[in-house]
Amino acid sequence: MNQDAEVTFEAIDNSESGDGGVEHGALLSRLCEAIYNEDQNQLASIKDQVVESAGADVLVDAVAVSAHFYMMTRIADATGTPLDAGSVEPSIQIRELVGVNAFTSRREAQK
Amino acid sequence: MPAYSTELPLRSDLNDTHEELAKRWATTGLWWSGAERLAIVEEVRSARDSEPLAPWESPSQVEGLIPDDNVLPSAAVDAIWRITNHPGTLTAEWHASIVGQGLDPEAYAELVGVVAQANAVDRFADALNLERVSLPEPSRLEPARSPDPSVQVSSHWVPTAQIKGPNVVKALSAVPFENESMQLLSSVQYVGLGDLLADLVSDQNSLSRMQVEVIAARTSKLNECFY
Repeated sequence: MNQDAEVTFEAIDNSESGDGGVEHGALLSRLCEAIYNEDQNQLASIKDQVVESAGADVLVDAVAVSAHFYMMTRIADATGTPLDAGSVEPSIQIRELVGVNAFTSRREAQK
Repeated sequence: MPAYSTELPLRSDLNDTHEELAKRWATTGLWWSGAERLAIVEEVRSARDSEPLAPWESPSQVEGLIPDDNVLPSAAVDAIWRITNHPGTLTAEWHASIVGQGLDPEAYAELVGVVAQANAVDRFADALNLERVSLPEPSRLEPARSPDPSVQVSSHWVPTAQIKGPNVVKALSAVPFENESMQLLSSVQYVGLGDLLADLVSDQNSLSRMQVEVIAARTSKLNECFY
């Protein structure tokens, strides 16, 4: 699958803003929201849309990636993992854009 | 026997790795026996399937919620529920209160590894309406429960080894078996951790790397994870 050259953070911030330059970006973002919400009707509808628009293999792979971050987020948050030294400065603008600075884990990982 | 039976085009490496993870959960750890590690996975499932509790509510204090014959200590049960259902609310003070109840810091790290893996594997099955992976018989060997003097609390709340790599890989370095399990899952569900920054452009199975990162970042944000 391909994407346009210019990529923004819209699909990360929420699923209403657009694809952010990533093919099916908004749809994949909505899939993540449905997995998180565990609303079976919402999830069934989005999964059908993903299969129709992108294929069943994309659905399986996308669910696998999203599920993986139920592990990574819990490892990071339950161990007080701080940002890597080399990524603090370069990620300032990104963190502002995607709105994660208010998270408890931002404050607590520094303790 | 494969982990899942489905008509979906499930990759064999995913199926095999989830089956392998179930076997690893049943293996004797450094701090928890095979039976206790499987009890941790079962507790993750209970936490996910029960009526939600507020973050400040401890399941061990809710009458009738946790059976009296549970093989896990109350602090472990409370940690499993909180990490599973409210990861975005975890604080250094909360962590201190858990290990302050007698849970060894390295045992806590092993618990985090198993809890996190079970959340990933079960979330995958649930989202695709698959039967959750079945749990094998536990190993009968007893864990060594022997502190490693080479691991220390430095950058994280938990003790870590002096290894190079991203801080999230260092997080479970006191329990290398869990770090290995994390990397097994990463290689089939995300990106091999060795390629994390070395290759930013290659497709990952049916997804472009940009699609993978959108999904990763959106999911992390929904889980209120800053890292």
